[in-house]
Amino acid sequence: MALLPSGVFAESYAADRALVRTGKQWVALGLFVAFLFVLPLIFGTRLTAIGNGILITAIVVVGLQITMGYAGQITLGQAAFMGVGAFAAAALARAGAPFWLCIPLGGVAAAVFGLLFGIAAARIKGFYLALTTIAAQFVFQLAIVNLPTDLFGGSHGLSVPAASIGSLRLTTETSIYYLNLIVCIIMVCGAFGIVRSRYGRAFVAVREDDVAAGILGINVVGAKVLAFLIGAFYAGVGGALWASYIRFISVEQFTLFNSIWMIAMIIIGGIGSIVGAIVGSVVVRGLQELVTALGPVLNEVFPAFGGQLVFAGMNLVLGGLITFFLIVEPKGLMHRWNKLKQAYRLWPYPHA
Amino acid sequence: MTQTATMSTAAGAVGAEDVRHLRTVYSAEELRLNFGGVKALSDVSMDIRDDELLAVIGPNGAGKTSLLNVLSGLYRPQQGRLLLNGEDVRGLSTHQIAKRGLARTFQSAHLFAGMSVLDNIMVGRHHLMRTNPLQAFAYFPWTHREEISHREAVEDIIEFLEIEAIRHQPVDALGYGLRKRVDLGRALAMEPRVLLMDEPMAGMNVEEKEDLARFILDLREARKMPVVLVEHDMSVVMDLADRVAVLDFGRKLAEGAPSDIQRNPEVIAAYLGDAA
Ligand SMILES: Nc1ncnc2c1ncn2[C@@H]1O[C@H](COP(=O)(O)OP(=O)(O)OP(=O)(O)O)[C@@H](O)[C@H]1O
Ligand SMILES: [Mg+2]
Repeated sequence: MALLPSGVFAESYAADRALVRTGKQWVALGLFVAFLFVLPLIFGTRLTAIGNGILITAIVVVGLQITMGYAGQITLGQAAFMGVGAFAAAALARAGAPFWLCIPLGGVAAAVFGLLFGIAAARIKGFYLALTTIAAQFVFQLAIVNLPTDLFGGSHGLSVPAASIGSLRLTTETSIYYLNLIVCIIMVCGAFGIVRSRYGRAFVAVREDDVAAGILGINVVGAKVLAFLIGAFYAGVGGALWASYIRFISVEQFTLFNSIWMIAMIIIGGIGSIVGAIVGSVVVRGLQELVTALGPVLNEVFPAFGGQLVFAGMNLVLGGLITFFLIVEPKGLMHRWNKLKQAYRLWPYPHA
Repeated sequence: MTQTATMSTAAGAVGAEDVRHLRTVYSAEELRLNFGGVKALSDVSMDIRDDELLAVIGPNGAGKTSLLNVLSGLYRPQQGRLLLNGEDVRGLSTHQIAKRGLARTFQSAHLFAGMSVLDNIMVGRHHLMRTNPLQAFAYFPWTHREEISHREAVEDIIEFLEIEAIRHQPVDALGYGLRKRVDLGRALAMEPRVLLMDEPMAGMNVEEKEDLARFILDLREARKMPVVLVEHDMSVVMDLADRVAVLDFGRKLAEGAPSDIQRNPEVIAAYLGDAA
């Protein structure tokens, strides 16, 4: 396995399966998590807010990675699934359900919605499946706009009660950050559990060769449906967190465009890697934030262009950057990183 | 037709006599499979008996792969019966038949390209594992223990097939002979009760063929499991098989001990003839 430093041979199969193997890796992981926990204390509200956006996005994109990167089921419905989770959690919270329950129930609502498209995936493949999942977007929008306004807010949107745990109300950027961070850590650990279990292997098997997967005893339809279910559940949990963070949700926050950006994130981070999904979320959200922050600055320097043009231009640059990146490194950042690590370990024997 | 009857009643080589008394593990009766106008299988019946090696031979397009596809549930025959350990499995999907004890290897490459050798073989354990999605999410200690115990079973297979050195390599990096070995390892990991192999030696050099033949012999020794081997190389068939079935244009031309098959004039005309 590429994760194993040369010279370090797994002593037992248990060690061989461990995600983190060496003392150094544990230290690095510990430092990284510690950094995430002190981040709001060091960087202040602006960056904490960006952190919140990234954490929620990362949860949703890790789910997409399971559906699309592992199981190979192309979906353009991830933002819609997130929206279903957001509205379901918001409606439940408004009805008085305890907050801690709204988050998993948001996930469950999205999973049920995702199930419909999982069943479609049993019959349709690739490009046509992608087209079919676009329907998720329209069904979601139509449903929200046409369902009772007092429940889901209709086209005006829905205000959401503040998150609270017991008597503790989570309303500040920082307190929400810790909530998001903890849920994100749980969901990421869960994702690692899933992908290295028999389901992770079944998903990849179905992606690579569904005929052989069936012959090897995998229920191919079941695996596809499960992949959709899990991916949508992650989206729903992210949506629920988003609802209680932003406190006002509307259908325009969950567009097809968002779904496409999420696909860009897993491609940039690396298809078929949980860490890749996280890296992709950080990089793309980071760039988007940079564009948003740089826009007004550029606007002041070149007032002649006008605000619209500057923002359009920045988006163009961002899109161009991603396209360029995909041409140079189509396998994503995680692939590049693994190759670098390998080269470093084997140095100075480049072909060993 | 009369020829077929004489073939199966004729006392064959030493092994053939014993084999006939063995229990039937998988029996196919009067299979018919058409693709439009193409008759891939016409009234083919075949019994696979306990602990035998049954070779299926025949010219290109004779229906050998089609037969294996029907037996494994990939193709639905228009007519016929399939009894696996006495249970009617016709109409079941491939994974359901797999769970009931059928494993096979493929004529063309069907390995899971994105995975290591180890994970490819671990996929074969899928239907024997019990972890559910929630347990996988939580990755409980017992989930981990289940992984480890199945990993041990897989390591035995890796050792048996002598592929320890490549266990962590991605399968796309392997040569042809090794790929076929991984394909076999994957099937063995399922702990099947019947193993079907579709031309495992095609495209191999002599050394690779000898290796694989040795694995097949060892495996029968160790697991006492019936093997159906589709093979073109007649010397391999004569060396390994207890019984031989000959297909031609979707029909079963003959069935019997290898030495009888070799002398059968119809078989010689249809198959061995053009090779000679
Ligand atoms: N999926 C399919 N669709 C249409 N025709 C098929 C299909 N599969 C097999 N056939 C036809 O059925 C006949 C038997 O093919 P099959 O692949 O079973 O032969 P085979 O004995 O395995 O040949 P080979 O030695 O070349 O592997 C051929 O005429 C083939 O063209
Ligand atoms: Mg064939």
